[in-house]
Order: sequence, then structure tokens, then C-alpha cells
Amino acid sequence: QLDRGCALHTAARDGLSSMSSQDVPAERPRAIFHTSESDPAKHTEQHEGRLYNIPLEEVKAVFPHGLPPRFQQQIQTFNEARVMVRRPALELLSYLKGSNLAHPAVRYLIYGERGTGKTMTLCHVVHYCSRQGWLVLHIPDAHLWVKNCKELLQSSYKKDRLDQPLQASAWLKNFKSSNERFLQEIKTQKRYMWGKQESTEKGRPLGEVVEQGLARVRSASDAVGVVLRELKQQSHRGSFRLLVAVDGVNALWGRTTLRKEDKSPVSPEELTLVHNLRKMVRNDWSGGAIVTTLSQTGSVFKCSSAYTPQELLGKEGFDTLDPFVPIPVPNYSPREFESCYGYYLERKWLQHEKAHTEDGKAELQFLSGSNPRQLDRLAGPL
Amino acid sequence: RIMPVRWSRYNPSYLEPEAKTESYQKPLEELTEEEKKQMELKAVRPIKAAPSTLSSSVFSDPMISKFTNMMMKSGNKVLARSLMSQTLEAIKRKQLEKYHKAPENEKETIECNPYVIFHQALKNCQPIIGLSNITRGGKTYQVPVPLTDNRKRFLAMKWLITECRENKHRRTMMPEKLSQELLLAFNNEGPVIKRKHILHKMAEANRAYAHFRWW
Repeated sequence: QLDRGCALHTAARDGLSSMSSQDVPAERPRAIFHTSESDPAKHTEQHEGRLYNIPLEEVKAVFPHGLPPRFQQQIQTFNEARVMVRRPALELLSYLKGSNLAHPAVRYLIYGERGTGKTMTLCHVVHYCSRQGWLVLHIPDAHLWVKNCKELLQSSYKKDRLDQPLQASAWLKNFKSSNERFLQEIKTQKRYMWGKQESTEKGRPLGEVVEQGLARVRSASDAVGVVLRELKQQSHRGSFRLLVAVDGVNALWGRTTLRKEDKSPVSPEELTLVHNLRKMVRNDWSGGAIVTTLSQTGSVFKCSSAYTPQELLGKEGFDTLDPFVPIPVPNYSPREFESCYGYYLERKWLQHEKAHTEDGKAELQFLSGSNPRQLDRLAGPL
Repeated sequence: RIMPVRWSRYNPSYLEPEAKTESYQKPLEELTEEEKKQMELKAVRPIKAAPSTLSSSVFSDPMISKFTNMMMKSGNKVLARSLMSQTLEAIKRKQLEKYHKAPENEKETIECNPYVIFHQALKNCQPIIGLSNITRGGKTYQVPVPLTDNRKRFLAMKWLITECRENKHRRTMMPEKLSQELLLAFNNEGPVIKRKHILHKMAEANRAYAHFRWW
């Protein structure tokens, strides 16, 4: 463990040149790909292409939901969570560090082709913000709210809207576990009625609203709406900084696969969760930032080769999100590929004898096209 | 009009395609006389079409391809290949988890390479002797008979696949079932090894009829 730290600080800036020299002992070239800096605030271009470790307790606290399923499997197999520091993430972090919180919230849109690491970039930013003490509102995948919903209840608040109790309660549970201390500090500003008998008074901590939503699953979607509304209204005071992180934001505009009982299709505005989230993503509040990701993989009714914001958001979504900062995420650069390959070798993930040779490495690079997801899928059976 | 292709025969002058990249990367000086003659022959003779299973990848393995073909149903090679890769990945994950949890002295004994486990498991499942039906005087006898290598490999693979398909719970996925069976067979346990032993015992019991064999 100690070797990794030393190798970082004495290593040259370009890791590749030190790998090719023969006098470096066999263990050192592997350690160059790691960095002992586990605080995202201190990541700079020097750490680009290197993997940093997130302690497992922190992973459970910061990411109850939100990490891609294959990455979660990888965490369990390797017994550690290593995330690569890449240029788009460093760019986003520098913008966040220099942003003025008195101004309206800036919207950042992370886009790129399939499997290039958009969700992992978002997770890196979420980790940074939670380390800095921001309140993180992380919606792991907005597509889960517009497809495959087993129960759709008619909303008691507005007649023509539909509630999704299961998705809302699942999200509330995860939100509660990651943001415990904020929920005790923030107080409600209005009296909310849940049905005829139950109500939450003005001035009670937000934790009670969340408890209400978890206890009475029927009103979970309304509880989510209340939480979002309170956070938006109170963020400009400056007592906490709010990060809205939405993965797959293109699900909020477009079509859903859900149908009402009379078999007519449901449009996203008719869902309470989507309606409230759209209000959150508007930049009419200050005291935080909105970081979103486009995703074609889980989307419905979208062509599989679509990856640009124009195609995936549609006209309505693009106009709503219009002044945003686009952050493209490319495939692995040669240095990042070396780093990932070295990490797999070190963790004994690449077991095939030929995978250790130059031919095997060249073949992996060619077959995957330096795409992170393809490399992960190819390296699985090898 | 549909042209018959499956049993069509090439003219004997057609040569087999060469997939290995090493043979094309050798510079001219290193070639022996025979290889030079072979290159000149290839320049004039036509070459057969390469089958789609022929691969120049360094990671391709003929046993794995054979096993994938046997798992394939109604020509769905894409599905069979993805199941095979998921199986290898599942074996690797289970072994790596065991490896990381084991104490230092036991770490060398745990085999993590899924290909080594696959080959060893198949070898452990191969029967040495088989039975064949021979009819004498109206009665059919089970006669112990030596098996060729190909037949042994085929039987091992067939038993593994049928065991996974039939004797497991309906809802478990094939990669999970297969990885479990392969790991058991690697350690010489499990239902497939038992079936091999039963076959050996039947052959031993029917030793008296061994003279019925005439080949």
C-alpha cells in the first residue's frame, strides 16, 4: 500500500515514458496508475489518467444508488472502488470550484457516445460535492421513472397527474441514507396536508416529510415534490449548497412507455415525479449547481446511434435546458487505456496468458476501440 | 433457385486458408525451402472460403468454440457466445473472491484462470471406456468399448450441457449453472463426475461381454 503513494510523487508527469525504462523494478510500473489522493478537491491535471481509491464506507454513504451495476460488481470482486480521473471531470470540478453561488444555478450537460464514462464522471462530481459538504440530490436514472412502473396511482393533489409510489419511496429511502444530517437542519416553511388527517406543521425538520413519504407510500410522490420545493426555496440563503445530479435527463422530455387504465399513453408531464424534477432543473434558483447526463442506453423510443443533446433531448427539452455548459466525454486516450489495462493486470482481472502480451494488448485496444464499456465487456471473459 | 451449399465439394486444387498472423509476419529470409514453395503455390492456386468460426485472434480457443457450438440452439451463435463469455466471467469472479479472502499460504492453490479451469474440468469429465450396443442371437448386450479422443470430448461436453439444462431449477441462468458445474468438475465432485463413474462401473460389470467386440 505504501509503495503506491511513493511511486506517484516521484513519478514523471508522463507515466508512459517511465514504464518503458528497464531499470524501474517490476512492481513500480503498475503503481504509477494509482494515486493516493482520495479527495477529489485536490485532483489536478497531474492526476489525469490515474485511478483514485474511494474507501468502502464512503461508497456506501455517498452512493446508496447511482453507481452503474457493472461497477458495483467490480467493487465487490476487487474489494475496492477505484475511479479514473479524466479530463471532463477535472473540467467540471474546476468550473464548480470557481462558480459564484449568488448567481442562478449553472446547468452542466455531460454528453458522449455510448459507454464513454458519463455516469462515472457524474459520480466523481457527486463524490467531490459530498466531500465539500454540499447537499446532493442524486437521481440515479431518470429513465426508471418513465418506464416499467407497476403501479400508477391517480394523484390526490392534482386530478390529472399520476403518482408512482414504488419509485418515489425507493428514491426517498436512498436520499435519506445519504443526507441524514441536512434533513435535521432544514425546516419546512409551510404547513403540508397529507390527506384529511395527517399534516406536517411549519418549522418541522425535513426528515419528518421524508418519514411521512416512507410510512405512507401513497403520498410518497407528493413527499418528493415537497422536499424538492423546500430545497429550492431555501438554497439561496447560503446555509447549504445544493447539487442537483440527474442521470439520463433526456427521460424528462420525450415519451414514456406507460399507459393509463384506458390504454391511452402517458406523457411525462402527467407524472408528478417528472413534473417536480423539471421544476428543479430550471435555473431560477441560486446557491448551487445542476449537473446532468444524457443517456441513450436506458432511453425509450430513441435511435441507438443518437448521442448529441439535440437528438436526445428533443426540441422541448433542449429549449428548457437551453443555456447549459456542454461537457463532451470522449473514449479513452492512449494513456488512459494503458492505465486501465495496467489496473486490470494488477488486480488479476486479465487471466488469459495471451492477455499479458503486447499482441493481446493491441488486440484489446483494437477490438474495444478504446471505449471503456467495450473494454470492460471484453476483459470480462479473458 | 436455391444453390445447394452445405455438402458442396471444392475442387481438390483449392487450398486451406491460413489464419495465424505469425506466418505472415516472417521476413523472406527466415523462410525454409518448403515454406517458400508453399508461398509460391498459394500465389497460383485458388483458396477455399474461410469459415466464419476461423479466427486470427490470440484469444480464440478451439475447445471453447466447440462447446459454444454445442450450447447453440437454432443457430443463435450470438446468444451462445454471450452465455459462454458470461460463464467464464462468473467463474473468474467466484475464484477471485475466494482468492482475496483466502490467507496467504493458500493463495497459490486457488486457480483463477477460467480457461485452465474449463480445460481441467473437461478432462476430469472425460470417460476412459464406453459402452456400445451389440446384438447377438436376438438379445442386445452392452459391450465395453474403447473411445476415440473426439468421442470422449464430445461426451464430456454433452453431459455438462444436459446436466445444466435439465437437472437444475428453472429460474437459474445458464452462466450461473454452468460455472457451478465447471467448478465442481474441476474439483472432481458433482453430478457429471458421478455419471462418468457410473459408466465406468457398468463397463467393469459387463466385462464378460468384452469379447463380443470385433473392432
